[in-house]
Amino acid sequence: MPNRIKLTVSHAPFWHDGSSITTKHYNIIAATLIAVIAGLVQYGLPALAVLTLSVGSAMAWEFLMNLLMRRPVSIGDGSAALIGLLFGMLLPAMVPWWVVIVGTLVAVVIGKQIYGGIGGNPFNPVAVAYAILLISWPLYLDFNAMLVDYSFNFKAAYPLVLYKFQGTGALDFGMMDLLLGRQTGGIGATFGLGLILGGIYLIIRGFIRWEISVSFLAGIFITALCFNLCNPEIYASPGFHLLTGFSLIGAFFLATEDSSSPVHFFPMLIYGALGGFLTVLIRNLGAHVDGVIYAILIINLIHPLIEKIRPKAMGRIMHHA
Amino acid sequence: MIKRSFFGIARPKLEYDTIEDVRPEPVSVKPGRRVTLFIDAPFTRAGRTMIKKGDSVVPGQRLQLYEDNPKAYTISPVAGRIAEISSFLGMMEKQMTAVIIDIDQEGGDSADTPFKEVSQNPSLQEAARFLAASAGKPDLAQFQDPDRSVKTIVVLGADRDLMTVTNQYVIKTGIASVKTGIDILRKITGVQNVVITVAQHQVQVAGSTAAGVRAVGSKYPLAHPEMILRYLLPEQTGQGGIALFTAEAVASIGEAFSSGLIPMEKIVTTVKKDGTRKLVSVTVGTPITDILAAVGEKIEPGDRLIAGGPMTGAALYSPDHPVEPDTDAVIIQGKETIVEGTDTPCTNCGQCVRICPVNIPVNELVRYMDAGEYEQAAERTALFSCIECGLCAYVCESRIPVFQFIRLAKHAVERMNAAEEANA
Repeated sequence: MPNRIKLTVSHAPFWHDGSSITTKHYNIIAATLIAVIAGLVQYGLPALAVLTLSVGSAMAWEFLMNLLMRRPVSIGDGSAALIGLLFGMLLPAMVPWWVVIVGTLVAVVIGKQIYGGIGGNPFNPVAVAYAILLISWPLYLDFNAMLVDYSFNFKAAYPLVLYKFQGTGALDFGMMDLLLGRQTGGIGATFGLGLILGGIYLIIRGFIRWEISVSFLAGIFITALCFNLCNPEIYASPGFHLLTGFSLIGAFFLATEDSSSPVHFFPMLIYGALGGFLTVLIRNLGAHVDGVIYAILIINLIHPLIEKIRPKAMGRIMHHA
Repeated sequence: MIKRSFFGIARPKLEYDTIEDVRPEPVSVKPGRRVTLFIDAPFTRAGRTMIKKGDSVVPGQRLQLYEDNPKAYTISPVAGRIAEISSFLGMMEKQMTAVIIDIDQEGGDSADTPFKEVSQNPSLQEAARFLAASAGKPDLAQFQDPDRSVKTIVVLGADRDLMTVTNQYVIKTGIASVKTGIDILRKITGVQNVVITVAQHQVQVAGSTAAGVRAVGSKYPLAHPEMILRYLLPEQTGQGGIALFTAEAVASIGEAFSSGLIPMEKIVTTVKKDGTRKLVSVTVGTPITDILAAVGEKIEPGDRLIAGGPMTGAALYSPDHPVEPDTDAVIIQGKETIVEGTDTPCTNCGQCVRICPVNIPVNELVRYMDAGEYEQAAERTALFSCIECGLCAYVCESRIPVFQFIRLAKHAVERMNAAEEANA
């Protein structure tokens, strides 16, 4: 009599370490919270509206694309929510609602879904969306113009704009103030300490690769230091570059996006360092106010190329005919 | 099951189990009603086999399938009658023949098997003719291959997969047989260079075998045969011609020639649903159902029954599957502990790349395989360097069955190459 019990049959290995992309995305979302809450405290309800609209619309676009492309519904994996959240964190608090919706449309559809969804995107979806919006409607992403209705107890000009158009003479920011978010900028991009803590949490948990973040920051520091040493009257200090604009959110949350970044050791270092280098180059010599987004898009572009630098596989076995 | 640590930046710690200091006496399991044996040849010539349905067999009897293929045989471990001979499809389309024997409890005895006579005078030819189906599955035919000249014999005393302690147990309790086996191997093959690889804590025990002793690290997959060849013995591997034997296989050779009986009792590490381990000594061919009954484990629909270790074993579709000569472990997993694979694409997180012991760019490999570009995968991403340890699939965040993918790709490329050669 054959035994008719139905067993689970699958291929080895029969163990799994229990990790999943959903856990990872929710952890990254959790890691942004300190910076996000600091932003909400600073900008109030309008910021909350931007963030919720951004997260919600990103998930809605994802759901719509799932239906259109007849793919399993993937809004539960946290990827779309994370894209929406990071995109919202880059925006000024008073940005018009439709800019947010168009932005998440670009991020989710053009940045991710048309390449086949998660894992297929060659560029960071958030950076793609931000860059396209910055070219299309620069006014709505201009922090000085958008935050004009607020009154702060600190200098209300966007530090990088001051630096670009008035030079180092106008920069009287204390490093501690910058670190603690006493500067204007994106909703979730100004509270440096929160971003650093979140980044360290993600590095310890192994959800982002420390090589990329550290080399990105080192790239900014070293390049800015070189400029600063050459001519401190024209070029700002490395600390200023590290703590303003999108430097920290870029290093910990944008450049480390899995699909568009390398995984081997040396390529990760090159990728990050190049990102930091380009950031400072664009800020110091280029026409744009902040270089992080463009730098990340450029390193995304070259990632497949530098990924070729990798250790040789051990002992290629001759397969027996 | 070992889960990812909270500090995910640290690599997962997968360590081989070490056998308890207190000697665990294995539970003896005898087959109940029937045994199933596999012969490594396709069952294509049904009418022209040397063994027939209804033949009665005695313990130690050699069951050869075809007249013209002396390598395709098995040994009956029991007395009984052949109930069925049928085709059996193994992993990756491997064609085998299954021989089912109904046990006759009062059956004949094994005193005068042909092996008893030849065992007085050990020779390679006779060893290859009788021992290929004994416990541990010693492959002696590799010494008869005219295209290969074996220069080194490696005895694997450390188990290749996690949780398994079968070979460690053999080293611990049967080192005398291993020593006899090594002496006989030296004598009959003429290969003097013998290396035994054991876990660190057994180096001293293994020293008594007069073979070169090498300690194997405790981190998975350092005891994997391919890892031993590449990292522990690179100079010997460079010269080519290494013959691998498990400690149990060598012990079988030793016992066979000292007792005149072919050892058909094998040690199997059994891991129950609750994770506890029990060693059993079981006759080759015994259905796993009998082991489950002996260790007091009940399986339910949806559970997983694994022949072999947790990383490289094979899931079985029926508990009637027999213990094979090289089945070192039987693992039962409750259905609530099973992590299912998904069809989520690779997100390029790089966990697999960082854990791969032989530096394969797994992230790229997966992309080639996903697209069905198996030849590209072999050429550009070192598909054939893979030692099949299963770590990539263990850490995969997308839960892609990477290991299965790799097996499939290798199989597809090998089949393509074979077809090309046939047409050339």
